[in-house]
Amino acid sequence: MQIFKAFMKVLKKKLPSGLIYIVVFLCIAIPMSLNGKESEKYEDSTLKICIFDEDDTPESKALIEYIDNKHDIVSFEKDKDVLFEKLYWEEADYALTINKGYSKALANGDTNDMFGCYSVHHSYATVYMETYLNEYVSSVRAFILGGQDSKDAVLSAADSLSEETDVEIADNSDPDYPERFSSYFQYMPYILISVLMNTLCPVLMTLNRKDIRYRTNCSCVRPNRYTLQLFAGSTVFVTAVWLILMIAGLFMYGGLFKGNAWLAVLNSFIFALVSTSIAVLVSSFNIGSNGVSLLTQIIGLGMCFLCGVFVPMAFLGKEVRAAANFLPASWYIKANDMLDGTNVFDSSKLATYIMIEVAFIVTFFIVALLIHRIKYNDSDSLDS
Amino acid sequence: MERTVVKIDNLVKRYGELTALDHFSLEIKEGEILGLLGPNGSGKTTTINCLLSLLSFDKGRIEIFGKEMTPTSYDIKKEIGIIMQNVAVFDELTVYENIDYFCGLYINDKAKRKQYVDEAVKFVGLEDFLKFYPKKLSGGLLRRLNIACGIAHKPKLIILDEPTVAVDPQSRNKILEGIQELNKNGATVIYTSHYMEEVEQICTRIAIMDKGKKIAEGTKDELKRMTRNTETIIIEILDLPKAVRDKISVLPHVYKTDYDDDKLTVSCSGGKHNLLRVLGLLQKEELSFGRVYSELPTLNDVFLEITGKALRDKEE
Repeated sequence: MQIFKAFMKVLKKKLPSGLIYIVVFLCIAIPMSLNGKESEKYEDSTLKICIFDEDDTPESKALIEYIDNKHDIVSFEKDKDVLFEKLYWEEADYALTINKGYSKALANGDTNDMFGCYSVHHSYATVYMETYLNEYVSSVRAFILGGQDSKDAVLSAADSLSEETDVEIADNSDPDYPERFSSYFQYMPYILISVLMNTLCPVLMTLNRKDIRYRTNCSCVRPNRYTLQLFAGSTVFVTAVWLILMIAGLFMYGGLFKGNAWLAVLNSFIFALVSTSIAVLVSSFNIGSNGVSLLTQIIGLGMCFLCGVFVPMAFLGKEVRAAANFLPASWYIKANDMLDGTNVFDSSKLATYIMIEVAFIVTFFIVALLIHRIKYNDSDSLDS
Repeated sequence: MERTVVKIDNLVKRYGELTALDHFSLEIKEGEILGLLGPNGSGKTTTINCLLSLLSFDKGRIEIFGKEMTPTSYDIKKEIGIIMQNVAVFDELTVYENIDYFCGLYINDKAKRKQYVDEAVKFVGLEDFLKFYPKKLSGGLLRRLNIACGIAHKPKLIILDEPTVAVDPQSRNKILEGIQELNKNGATVIYTSHYMEEVEQICTRIAIMDKGKKIAEGTKDELKRMTRNTETIIIEILDLPKAVRDKISVLPHVYKTDYDDDKLTVSCSGGKHNLLRVLGLLQKEELSFGRVYSELPTLNDVFLEITGKALRDKEE
């Protein structure tokens, strides 16, 4: 077990660069999942409205009362600079002036100069408030035209507009696979690639360094025993990293996994093996520690952006999605999307996706093995 | 009768068109320090790699400790220690961990290994640096660590492949003394180098290689006897007339003269009082001269005479 022990000692030295990814990931993921609401209920928006009543009539007061029923009325000095400052700091969303002659205009149907306002141009609050006032004025006008006087019309309009429609958001998600848990698995490819490449590559590169291998090959250790011990070391490390992430996952899940969550766990384990095979392949080249860091970013970020880890696949172009099929993370995400309900669940498709990931693992390992064979071919040792 | 430890018979190794080893044969007896001397590219390292079965070869046979050496001869490999030109240690392990790791490739028993590692540490004098990482060690200490990693398992055959390249003179002497001590403790040593002084200093027998062939073999005295030159006289002299140089050329035992850069070089073969005869002639011709010295033949002279070129380039 001499080689295995050396593997672990070298790993200990290289571990901080990889662990930092797990720590940062968990520090972000755990609070997010704990604070996240499972399914937010629909509710009307409430704005902070500042009102200046220059008309001061029962109609204008009725409007203020109508607004007050739904929104928060705030008071500020009627000064352009002050109001702009309040709008800028979002202490008010909309400053409404009910112009003098509002009640007359309402009765006459001349709705052009009823209101003045200070607002953030094109903001949600502006558009919402203008629609809200138009709706009210139109409603009052309808009642006036219906034969009511303006005093009754404002009451009737307020009454009719106060009726609320109950809105419920349909929840088609799997109760065994909550949304917060889905996003945890969504970002896992980046973490697995970053941690395993940043840690496993330097360790394997050290243990496969040409002069170290030369010395080892001179000893009575059989090459397959050497490889086997490296394999054992890598397996222990990869399993440990994956288990840490799964234990954190259990914490976020709030108990033992159920239903489709187990399939997500399996999918993540397969992807941990994909990341390992990439790390083994990269370690076949003598690129140094800076090269490994650079390649980790290129492979990790590149693959995750192209394969829908950071941006949903639906937002990606057709060509990008076609190119992503040649990358393993794409199949991981496809499986994950199926498990979290983004796409329709189909067990045979899921099995295909996982098998494609396995095919990537086999391919990467075979290529790494071939490179290894070529690298340690005897012609390489020629130096005199 | 001394046991043959290594027997290389008619070894041929080709890299495409290049013949790295050309019917190379060699025998090394138990307790010897055999120097494998040759210029860069002569085939020394290829020989070592074939010997260790790290390289396949086209023809020939290698026996170590009376058994044929093959890539799977792990029982033989157990008795061999290798110290390379490059320091092959883990930067991530301490001095002690490095020696323990390489010793552990041969010795499984923990207690025995600890004893061997402690002895190796003591042998190379690294007791005060056990917890140091290699990057914190000076060049000389690193070389000592490299040696400790190669000999900790107490091999019967130690192969040192140019272990003193780029080493300061003080550390070089330490290394050479260490090799002699290992030999005294019973190890047979193969020492490859292109530094003839080192080989002359420590080796009991020397094999000279060039272009993959063994061109000479014997003790240093035997090799030196192979050359016609027995003495080289060098005299610093200004404006030596050609007539005088011609007179020197025909003196008894003188077989060659050179005059270059105000320096007269007289090569003699056998005879006594050659220096006195040359100086007497210069005195008779009333020529004044500066520094005078005489040199005995070196292995470079042997190599020069056999191959027509110097063993080591001047800049080396």
